[in-house]
Amino acid sequence: MSTLVNRRTLLGSAVALPLLSACGAGSAGAGAVRFEGWDYESQLVQQNLDRFTAANADIKVAYTPITSAQYVRKIVAEFTGNNGPDVLYSYDDSMVSWVQAGYLQPLDGLPGVDEVYSGIYESNAKAMTFQGKRYGLPYYTDCHGLTYNAALLDKAGIKTPPKSLDELEQQALKVKNAGVLEYPIGLAAQLADTWSSWVWTLVYGSDAALFSDDFKPTMDKARPIFDWIHKAATVSKVIDPASLQLTPVPLDNAMMAGQYAFTIGPRYALRTYNDPAKSKQAGALKLAAVPSLDGTARGTVSSTRMYCLAAKTAVKDKAVKLLNFLGGYGSDGKPSTARFWFDQRGLGFPFRQLADDPDIRTTLAKFTDPETYTKLSAVAKPRNLLGAPWYGEYESAQQKTVQQLLTNQTDASAAVSSLSETAISLAKKYS
Amino acid sequence: MTTSTVRQWSDNTRGYAMNAPALIAILLLVAYPIGYSFWVSLHRDNLAQPAARKLIGLDNYLSLVDDPAFLASLRVSALFVLVVLVVTVVLGLVLALVLNETFMGRGVLRSLVLLPWAMPGVVNGLMWRTVFDAKTGALNGVLTELGWIDSYQAWLASESGAFFFTAFAQVWNTLPFTVIILLAGLSTIPRELYDAATVDRAGVVQRFRQVTVPWLLHPLLIVLILETMNAFRAFDTIYVLTGGGPGDATTTVALLTVQRVLTYTDVGLGSAYAWVITLITLVISVAYVGLLYRRGSFEV
Repeated sequence: MSTLVNRRTLLGSAVALPLLSACGAGSAGAGAVRFEGWDYESQLVQQNLDRFTAANADIKVAYTPITSAQYVRKIVAEFTGNNGPDVLYSYDDSMVSWVQAGYLQPLDGLPGVDEVYSGIYESNAKAMTFQGKRYGLPYYTDCHGLTYNAALLDKAGIKTPPKSLDELEQQALKVKNAGVLEYPIGLAAQLADTWSSWVWTLVYGSDAALFSDDFKPTMDKARPIFDWIHKAATVSKVIDPASLQLTPVPLDNAMMAGQYAFTIGPRYALRTYNDPAKSKQAGALKLAAVPSLDGTARGTVSSTRMYCLAAKTAVKDKAVKLLNFLGGYGSDGKPSTARFWFDQRGLGFPFRQLADDPDIRTTLAKFTDPETYTKLSAVAKPRNLLGAPWYGEYESAQQKTVQQLLTNQTDASAAVSSLSETAISLAKKYS
Repeated sequence: MTTSTVRQWSDNTRGYAMNAPALIAILLLVAYPIGYSFWVSLHRDNLAQPAARKLIGLDNYLSLVDDPAFLASLRVSALFVLVVLVVTVVLGLVLALVLNETFMGRGVLRSLVLLPWAMPGVVNGLMWRTVFDAKTGALNGVLTELGWIDSYQAWLASESGAFFFTAFAQVWNTLPFTVIILLAGLSTIPRELYDAATVDRAGVVQRFRQVTVPWLLHPLLIVLILETMNAFRAFDTIYVLTGGGPGDATTTVALLTVQRVLTYTDVGLGSAYAWVITLITLVISVAYVGLLYRRGSFEV
């Protein structure tokens, strides 16, 4: 008898396991919109979603935050296993590969999309467009500028920030020679799976594209930038060698501790840099245009985070409504979620109309100069290599080459030719 | 099934039947993934380009011959294994010999020696990263206090510095295992052998060469095989400390494999990398067995 019971238990378990597994996959409940994103401020995300579900009682949203460091891998794993979400966050440097893998669907023709694209900065619209089709609605954006410590510059007798790269090097030397800091420039140059934003910022700051729009290397134009990096690190020695050990967070801490006079970084960081509760240097850290080769403010690089729609969503109508709530305009014609994120956490807004909002300008003025902040948005460009399926591998090679420049293992000419060869070989490999 | 049928089963059949559940579990959880990874390695298979997936036979393996990143990582791995292995074995032997002696506090010291082994690789990397930090690191603090350096140094910013400090962190993490194995080996050496050698007027060095070393060949073999595999597969400590930089200075083949599979989602080529690592460690292990096991059997 007991054998019989055991057999039944065993058979029961065999049946129950797939059922349990199925329950896991569909725990959101039938008809709910599955929404996934990296785990930045997940409580605030839920708070914002509650506003949506309160106004749309017929739509249930199952939100799952995923650890940032594993986000891309988990999403790829989920879609590979045919268990992807309906609406999801995407980085601008993941979007194209997800489109090519068939995970995402274009948003062209969906309600509200044209209006959003005509109301956002060009750099954000470009970052969310691939082969003429639009794949995202904006979550937040940021662009990079020169961050400098006015108090430390003042100690060296410097009153205005540098406009050209030569001027940046000279001012750094002045700070160094005045005994204020041994290495006045700090950069986040440790190898990472993400992008090395400061390199792209310097390149775009001088309007010196690394690639043409059809992904052909045009690095000769960037040679003077690489040459400057090499010289500043190994000849004038104003770039801290410890930069090779720095990722963005330790660099932020060093800036807030007054260990560097200059860095190239995102505007967003100024909010924390100038918060007296968090920073010893609050009030001293300022934002300026990116120094260029000829001293003319030419541009910068932007990053865009977006909301996307899964290609195989079974709840498209509901998902589109959620997508519009998150990345579009409300019934009052205002981008309520973008505004929500700026108010709550100071995240950069992609909508041009918010730049003129008096309340937003007042908030911006508390941590930076609103004029410089919005000017950077206007001249920003996304990396024009994001559409290449081999972008990730190229980025990794570029980071290594820049490390070699910083440590004098190579020079600008060799770096440029090595990166060109890498790009050509990657294009061939992925073709 | 009747009782008479069961009786007709041979011992072998019954043995297989009894082991079948475990064998099935092993096949499903170990053999299948291993076999599948080999199958994947025969494909062009990047998750970002599912439409381009196709069987390409051994092309992934053949492409490694002129893959500069792979060849460079193999060189770094080989040097890393060599440095880690030599330092681990020498230090491990010295520590084991010390801990095999009787002295006050030996028990406490034996416990302390084990501590690094209990530390996961990522934590080990984070700890040493803090110690080696160019701005606030303890190493800089101590050396400055001692007057050995004038200002704080970026230890991980140079190629050689990054390589040797990373190797040091790896040694620190794996040294206890070597000490335990060698200590166990030392404790099996009969005291009479040393007494007899002393009577024969053998000095310390002779006793070490003629008695200790032959008896330690088997434990040494275990240490060499396992530490070679560990050093070849070293990933977490290096990833946290340097990310593989500066440049390619600490990009080992294990680091490159993880990057290839998880960052670039190139599971086809990444699987080929993994199989090459397996093959290399297998060849080295067989060579160790050939060199040491037989020699040990004859001489001991």
